Amino acid sequence: MAKEKKLIKLIDICKQYENEEVVTKVLYDINLEVNKGEFVAIMGPSGSGKSTLMHIMGFLDKPTSGTYYYKGKKVSDFDEDKLADIRNEEVGFVFQTFNLLQRTSVYDNVNLPLTYSDKKIGDQDVIQAIKSVGLYHRKDNLSNQLSGGEKQRVAIARALVNRPEIIFADEPTGNLDSQSGKQIMEILQDLNEKGNTIILVTHEKYTAEHARRIVSIIDGKIVDDYQVKKRLIAKDEKYLTK
Amino acid sequence: MIKKLKNLCKIACGSLLRHKLRSVLTILGITVGITVVIVVLSAGQAIEDFITGQVNQFGTDWIQVEVKVPSAGKTSLENVGGLAQGVTITTLKLSDAEEIKEHPNVRDYYAGNVSQEIISYEAQNKLTMIFGVTAGFIDIDPSELIQGRFYTEAEDKGLDKVAVLGFGIKDVLFGQRDAIGENVKINKQNYEVIGVMEEKGSAGMFSMDDVVYIPARTMQKRILGIDYITFIFNRIYDTSIARQTADDITLIMRDLHNITDPNRDDFHATSAQEALEMLDTVTGSIQILLLAIALISLVVGGVGIMNVMYVSVAERTFEIGLRKALGAKYNNILNQFLTEAVIITFIGGIVGIILGIILTWLISFVATNYLGFDWQFYFSIQYILLAAGMSVLVGLVSGLYPARQAASLDPMVALRKE
Repeated sequence: MAKEKKLIKLIDICKQYENEEVVTKVLYDINLEVNKGEFVAIMGPSGSGKSTLMHIMGFLDKPTSGTYYYKGKKVSDFDEDKLADIRNEEVGFVFQTFNLLQRTSVYDNVNLPLTYSDKKIGDQDVIQAIKSVGLYHRKDNLSNQLSGGEKQRVAIARALVNRPEIIFADEPTGNLDSQSGKQIMEILQDLNEKGNTIILVTHEKYTAEHARRIVSIIDGKIVDDYQVKKRLIAKDEKYLTK
Repeated sequence: MIKKLKNLCKIACGSLLRHKLRSVLTILGITVGITVVIVVLSAGQAIEDFITGQVNQFGTDWIQVEVKVPSAGKTSLENVGGLAQGVTITTLKLSDAEEIKEHPNVRDYYAGNVSQEIISYEAQNKLTMIFGVTAGFIDIDPSELIQGRFYTEAEDKGLDKVAVLGFGIKDVLFGQRDAIGENVKINKQNYEVIGVMEEKGSAGMFSMDDVVYIPARTMQKRILGIDYITFIFNRIYDTSIARQTADDITLIMRDLHNITDPNRDDFHATSAQEALEMLDTVTGSIQILLLAIALISLVVGGVGIMNVMYVSVAERTFEIGLRKALGAKYNNILNQFLTEAVIITFIGGIVGIILGIILTWLISFVATNYLGFDWQFYFSIQYILLAAGMSVLVGLVSGLYPARQAASLDPMVALRKE
């Protein structure tokens, strides 16, 4: 079990979108803390604001009001370059639609974050990341030659390659068949076991139950936040009582 | 640093290769622009060399007095136009030349008229340029005779019907035969050939070998039936006071022609230096004009690049969003698109330089061998540097706005564009 340490603290986070004169409120007074090493599932129906919340926590979007502390520092004090550095070196993203560069090899896709990194990470680490998702034999294939499950595994390798502290996964199994989805959850659970903090966004209770903690969100408000008692272990495909 | 540069080039080349036809067409736009720049620079230099060379043939120790339409500028279209429209200035006389000769800095002179007449020998006829000049011509002009002799002052004053043939005319009329002592017909009168000039080549489109020289007074009286001349060519001793001498000659001429108002001058005295300065101004203006045309084509190429870059940014909005989500900063994206634009223009520039050199050489070859110009192939490393610099600059300028647009994209907004 990873050592408990506060990574994320959200205080009264609100988000609204303004389109001409129409104001759409998406998040209302979100208060949430995430500690290092946690596996948190943010669960809610479509349109509940869970992805928006993840984008704010992942430094891709900014709240309309409220305060976001990352490792004890106010995120609103960070400039764009600092945010880009955090996205590059401390955070990894796995998206529902994979978001790979088309007509680009598996290797180059996984290598993409390193293009913008000053970390001393070399070819061997890229290969290691590809191996860790079981795609070494496909490393020279183009992304459009892969199945959905393989694409998502490439996305996970890309999220891993810079050795981030947090991995944000937005509906990572949403476009996959059950077998591929199981593989992805297995990888995420393994990563969590190795100390990575995982924040998973999903609308499926089944997928959410692979996490240790579930935060339920409905209509932009947190309605529940609890530890999973009977966590699903993708590897064993059976419930374990925690 | 090198790794980052390598990555930038790799990304840029990858993007360009994915849209080969579009890249080639964009490169072509810049290639045309740079080719034109190279050709124009080389041609401009060749024109300047050519014109300066023509003037320098006569050395710098001369002052020419020419007829001028009163109230017209010495280089103005009005003067040229007036003379071309048949305005005839009849006030310049051989006696003026004699008076000018008295100036202490004037060494010698030749003067006369130029006309076109048919010259014939046996069955051969040719319309040719007749130079009716005084005997001093052969001492001042760099031309040499290869056969016979030039006419004397006595023959000029005696209105003798003697002629010296240019190399080309002799060849046309006589071929390999000896022309000395033979009679040619000019204006239905017999002229004895007393000399043949060496081969002189061309002055622009005009062959200096297709010329016949006859005494100035013979031409005045026997051919044109006039008593005036159109030019006096004076050789001077001291070139350092050429301008002062030209001013003195102007005063002498005004006195001779009873002119008190300089605007009424019916002549103009031009020194070699002044002529060169005037030519410099003219060739400089021509070069600037040509360069402006070349730059317009470069601007058109640049607009093409800007257009393609905007399309590229629009097409790759998702990719930009993804890169930013994965840690790309504003400058990373800016540099990526600028690199693409610069690679396009740089390749276009290199191809343009090569094409420009080939075209310049071709123009020089055709002009020299088929059009009779003495057009030297001129090229300089400075042109390559200038063209390469300009192409990169066009890339930077035309790529900047699209690149800034790309770099400013919000990652989330861009990612939703998939």
